[in-house]
Amino acid sequence: MLTALILLPVAAAVVMMVVPGRRKELHLPLGIALSVLPLALAGYVFWIFEPAPGFQLVELVSWYEPWGINWFLGIDGISLPMVVLTTFLVPIALAASTSIKTKTKEFVVYTLLLEAGMIGVFLALDLFLFFVFFEAILIPMYFIIGIWGGERRVYAAVKFFIYTALGSALMLGGIIALAVSYSSQFGSPSFALGDLANVDLSPGSARWLFAAFALAFAIKVPLFPFHTWLPDAHVEAPTGGSVLLAGVLLKLGTYGLLRFNLTLFPEASVEAVPIMGTLAVVGIIYGAVVSVVQPDLKKLVAYSSVSHLGFIVLGTFALTSGGLQGAVIQNVNHGLTTGALFLLVGMIYERRHTKKIEDFGGLQKVMPIYAGFFLFMIFASIGLPGLNGFVGEFLILIGSYTTLPSLAVVAAGGVILAAIYLLWAYERVFTGVPEKEENKALSDLSAREISLLAPIVALVLVLGLFPGVLLDKIAPSTEAVLDYIEDETAYVVPEPGRLGDVYVAGEGR
Amino acid sequence: MITPPEISWIAIAPDLILALGAAVVLLVDVQWKPAVRVLGMVTGFSLVLAVGATLVQKMAAEDAVLAADPGSLVAFSGMILMDGFAVFARFALLGATALGVLAGWRYIEGLGRRGAEALALIMLATAGFSIMVASNNLVMMFLGLEVGSIALYVLAGMSRERPESDEAAIKYFLLGSFASAFFIYGVALIYAGTGQFAVLNIRAFFDQFVVTSPAVVYIGIGLVVAGLGFKVSAAPFHSWAPDVYQGAPAGVVGYMAAVAKIAGFAAMARILLTALGDLDSTWLPIVAALAALSMLVGSTFALVQGDVRRMLAYSGVAHAGFIMTGVVGGETQGILFYLAVYAVQLLGAFAVVVAVSGASGARSSIDDYRGLARRSPGLAGSFAVLLLGMAGLPLTSGFIAKFGVFADAWNSGYEWLVVVAVLASVIAFAFYLRIIVAMYMDEADVEAPALVPTVRWVVGLTVVATIAWGIFPGSLLDLAANALPL
Repeated sequence: MLTALILLPVAAAVVMMVVPGRRKELHLPLGIALSVLPLALAGYVFWIFEPAPGFQLVELVSWYEPWGINWFLGIDGISLPMVVLTTFLVPIALAASTSIKTKTKEFVVYTLLLEAGMIGVFLALDLFLFFVFFEAILIPMYFIIGIWGGERRVYAAVKFFIYTALGSALMLGGIIALAVSYSSQFGSPSFALGDLANVDLSPGSARWLFAAFALAFAIKVPLFPFHTWLPDAHVEAPTGGSVLLAGVLLKLGTYGLLRFNLTLFPEASVEAVPIMGTLAVVGIIYGAVVSVVQPDLKKLVAYSSVSHLGFIVLGTFALTSGGLQGAVIQNVNHGLTTGALFLLVGMIYERRHTKKIEDFGGLQKVMPIYAGFFLFMIFASIGLPGLNGFVGEFLILIGSYTTLPSLAVVAAGGVILAAIYLLWAYERVFTGVPEKEENKALSDLSAREISLLAPIVALVLVLGLFPGVLLDKIAPSTEAVLDYIEDETAYVVPEPGRLGDVYVAGEGR
Repeated sequence: MITPPEISWIAIAPDLILALGAAVVLLVDVQWKPAVRVLGMVTGFSLVLAVGATLVQKMAAEDAVLAADPGSLVAFSGMILMDGFAVFARFALLGATALGVLAGWRYIEGLGRRGAEALALIMLATAGFSIMVASNNLVMMFLGLEVGSIALYVLAGMSRERPESDEAAIKYFLLGSFASAFFIYGVALIYAGTGQFAVLNIRAFFDQFVVTSPAVVYIGIGLVVAGLGFKVSAAPFHSWAPDVYQGAPAGVVGYMAAVAKIAGFAAMARILLTALGDLDSTWLPIVAALAALSMLVGSTFALVQGDVRRMLAYSGVAHAGFIMTGVVGGETQGILFYLAVYAVQLLGAFAVVVAVSGASGARSSIDDYRGLARRSPGLAGSFAVLLLGMAGLPLTSGFIAKFGVFADAWNSGYEWLVVVAVLASVIAFAFYLRIIVAMYMDEADVEAPALVPTVRWVVGLTVVATIAWGIFPGSLLDLAANALPL
């Protein structure tokens, strides 16, 4: 089942490759139709997924036995939301790419391959396999930015590639180190996550390895001060690419921190809480402050990502039930709201060919539907109660207040700043009277564009009003992570930071 | 009374077949002056026979392992070995030769009457290197090295009408002779210290004795490493590589580089790992330092090249460093696997260069590649795969190869070398990406290159191999794992 989830987009890409290149009008619709298949399968997986700790639907096929590498897949409450989010955003990203007129077939192919890689990263339980997917993703994304991007696309694409490759190269060293230690301690090679977690590491080497993994993921997140590739990549990427970049690719970093750093190096993770927490909060405030002064809408959304992802890292390293659950659900929320904001920026860019805030003004009058959607997404992003962003940020702040009170207080300031920069941007773009002639003749959203945004709006509302749908599936897995850390280290989650052991006992809530 | 050495024809059959093939090609050419195509068939036939002979050797080597009778693999009074290591290296050499002849076929045919010479030289070079990888005796190894190298010097100067080709040949010859002299002097010093020429005897010597004043042996080791370092273009002995790669006819550069690397590293592994395995505390730091230097120099210098062939030359320097990382790791599996996949990628990449820049010219500016994706998407896609393979991205054979040598080096305690290696690979990404940027993200109106069928086959085969071994590396890894030296 999980293998099919990875191979379905690959198969779709192969189908796309044989479609004649001249039939341009076919490429996008066919690509969208094909990308709905993985979504359907992911929906089915979500449906049959039992809220319980541990990995489900596990598949294990030996890849190369003497090295102990395996095609080892499994899904739990932490990866499940990410997989669904990925499959959900890909059709939307494709449908949003009607402005791509050249090499449409290749664009669809790269997007589908990217999807396969992203799903693979979330499902892989073997570190070798994980690294393969993690690194392989760079290639399609590199092409998407470099071929269909804006003016400085080549610079942005190469910067994106080299920056992230640098981080993952050190992680490769870390994986090798772990695997070598494992085979010398246990006598047989293995790259399985569960096996490598058993490796006995000296505190010193555990810290180094934690740093190697954390650096790779921190660049991907991106955590301050490793964020400089992000604005370039986002600004230059085509809309569809931006949606996937912000929606899913950045989550590889937060997912990796949660899945690998906490599990492989529990001791070092507990030690690193102050550093990671501080970097996260610095990122929250820095991203927010920089967003305030951005003259470019797309850059503003990009920097707001730096800020929002800081929350997720803070939640992860709060090491409480609320923090971890909030981090996972906020991964999804940020993917939805930021993805939607990039879509919205892309829509106005297609009409006006500018993203500068100062070029707009009074759009509310000309494009009321557009303004409505924009405001809705801003509210979701700020975390208005009733919308999804509230659930995640609230959980993270509550969760981190237990263990990192001072950082949580500062982080709460980030919420206020978010309201400032987003609403101020809204004010400058939408309110008032349209003064520029170009703005007066703008057409409002078409039915196609509304149909792109509607599913996101629906999910934002569902997750905002009934977060239990998702949290019930997440909680057992995040609790299991906390249990594991408590077992392995002297760390005890302080009350009231813990939901309790109910899930581990398997009795339900 | 002098007893004649026992003769084991099968132990040298591949080399003999190739040497005879070269002789036949030359004689037939003198007598009947047939079309080059006919001579090409003779060459192909010889290669097929040589592969067949190597297959027989492989079976013999496997039988000897099963029967626990390694003595049966030592031939000619301990001169030649027929172990799994030699067999694997021979397969790699023969495969590289076949791909090289195919990729350079248009060039060889275009040489007209001199085509026979080129084919004969190629077969002789392969025969020499094939002896070299199978030698137990260091003097024998030197002879093989010289037979192979001299043939390559001449090949580099094959395009006499172009001054760059002459320059490349002279440079290659002068520096290569120096390297050979280093090598043989090192062999002499090792002999002076141990009284042995044979690899297995040297190993036995160090098993039994401790050399109290080892300076002579140490200098000998240093000279041997330097000599082979020249041949495999490891820094700081790499200065000939860019000029030779650029000046020599593109049609044969891929072949030259591939076989020299395979043979040089096979010899290095045999000498250092087998003969001098007990002295590893002496040579490990030297080789590790050379590896680190090669990776860094190769990757950074490649960044600033404007010519794709020079870039590939510097990338070759970096790859020499990666393979030396495998030597530091001490596992022949990693070294052999890396050599095989790199040779394939290199030959494929040069086949693309031949297609885009022409087989004989000395120019292969990166400008020729601008917008290639639009003009001939298949060729650009293939080149991209090969470059990503060389860069070592996952899902290509290059990743498995790099992973293998890194893990081995980490295992033998050279963690810092692995860190240098992963950082150098990131630097290397940058210049592989430069070519991909030129192909995919720049626009230019240049005509699509005409693809010769033979080049098309080579490119197709190497791309398929690069991806297949990246996803299903098991079969080749097993072969390399079983290819142990005696």
